[in-house]
Amino acid sequence: MSSIDLSSPMAGHRKRSLFLDLGGVVLTLLTIACAAIWFFPVFWAVMTSLKTDDETVRAGFHLFPDAPTLNGYLFVLQHSDIGIWYLNSTITSVTVTVVAVFMAACAGYAISQLRFPGRRLLWWTILASFMVPGSALIVNHFIIMAGVKLLNSHLGIILPMLITPVTVIVYKQFFDSLPREFREAAVMDGAGEFQLLFRVFLPMNWGITTALAIITFIGAWNTFLWPFLAVQNEKMMTVTVGITAVQDAFGVAYARTLAGAVMAGLPVALAYLIFQRRVTQAITLSAGIKG
Amino acid sequence: MPHVELKNVSKRYGNVQVIDNLSLSVDEGSFTALLGPSGCGKSTMLRMIAGLEEITAGQCFIGGTDVTDVPPAKRGAAMVFQNYALYPHLTVRQNIAFSLSLAHAPKALQESRVAEVARMLQLEQLLDRRPGQLSGGQRQRVAIGRALVREPKVFLFDEPLSNLDAALRSQMRLELARLHQQVKTTMIYVTHDQIEAMTLADKIVVLDKGVIAQTGSPLELYNKPANKFVAAFIGSPAMNFVPADIASREGNAVTVVFASGNRETITARNPATADKRIEIGVRPEHLKLVASGSANAAFEGTVSIIEQLGNSTLLYVDTAAGPLVVEGEGNLKAATGDKVGLAIDTANAHLFGADGKVL
Repeated sequence: MSSIDLSSPMAGHRKRSLFLDLGGVVLTLLTIACAAIWFFPVFWAVMTSLKTDDETVRAGFHLFPDAPTLNGYLFVLQHSDIGIWYLNSTITSVTVTVVAVFMAACAGYAISQLRFPGRRLLWWTILASFMVPGSALIVNHFIIMAGVKLLNSHLGIILPMLITPVTVIVYKQFFDSLPREFREAAVMDGAGEFQLLFRVFLPMNWGITTALAIITFIGAWNTFLWPFLAVQNEKMMTVTVGITAVQDAFGVAYARTLAGAVMAGLPVALAYLIFQRRVTQAITLSAGIKG
Repeated sequence: MPHVELKNVSKRYGNVQVIDNLSLSVDEGSFTALLGPSGCGKSTMLRMIAGLEEITAGQCFIGGTDVTDVPPAKRGAAMVFQNYALYPHLTVRQNIAFSLSLAHAPKALQESRVAEVARMLQLEQLLDRRPGQLSGGQRQRVAIGRALVREPKVFLFDEPLSNLDAALRSQMRLELARLHQQVKTTMIYVTHDQIEAMTLADKIVVLDKGVIAQTGSPLELYNKPANKFVAAFIGSPAMNFVPADIASREGNAVTVVFASGNRETITARNPATADKRIEIGVRPEHLKLVASGSANAAFEGTVSIIEQLGNSTLLYVDTAAGPLVVEGEGNLKAATGDKVGLAIDTANAHLFGADGKVL
């Protein structure tokens, strides 16, 4: 009587899943290692900001503070204009976010949905401007802003930061992807272009606007080079620029410097933690364009 | 006076002529179907009436007013789209009230109109749902409701049932027919489905490559097609066409001879033609099975396929003149391989000239 060998395919399956398990474990370990390497400087900065000045310069490797203290933070809060810098950063970042996203939505809509002379030229110009790095334009921006006497002002910081071709491109692609019947149905219902944009097109996927707004806000908050050049007056500085003033003013005082850095990065870190999924979506959207 | 009228309308996309000097009039309160194969220009015509497509040449009138250059929202026309185009972020209530809301109509008026439409279309239970939570048929009803709430002079339907399954389609056909009886508004309905056109419309406009092939009631088109295109397009299974030569004519009676040598005398509608070589068109139900070798058999052949549909039986018969379809009764007894003769019901046969026009 012949017997059916059931063990061999099962053994093969077991071997395969063992291999997959092993691969999974290796990948997980690798990911954890990468995350640890990436996270260590952040962790080190936070820990250092909680140490005393003596502890920061003590020989040897001390991961955690002996007695955590908020002195570094208190010093920065008491001896710097960080409150004003926060306010400046908030004003400039929020304004840049609102205005840039609004303009990009309008521009993306116009290029995608309207037919007007020069539409293609405008589109190619936006695409071309996307290929010019922002830092290459910084001298021009400085000369223009100095010419119109907007240096050392919020407007001077904001205006050059409104150039966000990627946002326009993302919106244009989104509007292109919508079936034309939505537009036609709304047109037949009596919608004008602004009603079409703000009552039909944008509400169909607020996710895109949210994602673009978050990534624009984070970018605007983190920007250093342009605000650094545009502002010399300490009262007009943004947090990122002000932190350098802390470093210059306090000398080698790592706890205070890093306390300032942690405070500067805190809003962005919080924004990321709250809107993690949207940030990932925004990165995917813009990465798709860059790719 | 026609309610909707297109006068010498043409439409070009670059060098491509989609509609060529077409004129059409639609009576007030009628249900007119624009029927034709894909790419014949029927949707373009509808979109020109709606104002969504610019007219290259000619004029469009609605209710006696020239609306050629009037924006879509001001033409008094409402459109139901093939994919419904319901706004996914709005509830059924908001979708239906959208046009009223854009027009800043008072809230109370919006609510009463939405309630009225919802009652008419049995949407009361669905008003707070979003389109994503509705079935195809329900979405279709919401799309109709959105058009209905505007109280338009003309309803335009662009293949509204093509996304539904067969059962739902026939149910929606009934609902549309009922709606038309109820509101008695002019309706223009684009479809490539002849059953929809035949069952819903009181007038059908058959389009072929941007020109009107024939206009008439469903039965006129079925019984008296003006040309081979209409004869072939209307009716399922399609009409059989067999080449023949004119042997003689006497008044309207034309005697034709088939390749087999068999002769038939058929009454022509327009017998004046110089063509000798013509085609005979016979619908499957107008071919009768007779015994092979029978004296009145116009064709001899072998049954190749049998389709039993319950209420009728379709036989595919291979003959010397080509494959012919015969429609018999549901309980017709036949088997594949049977040798059969086919007799033509000459009273219902059609003659087509070389240019495709009916003789």
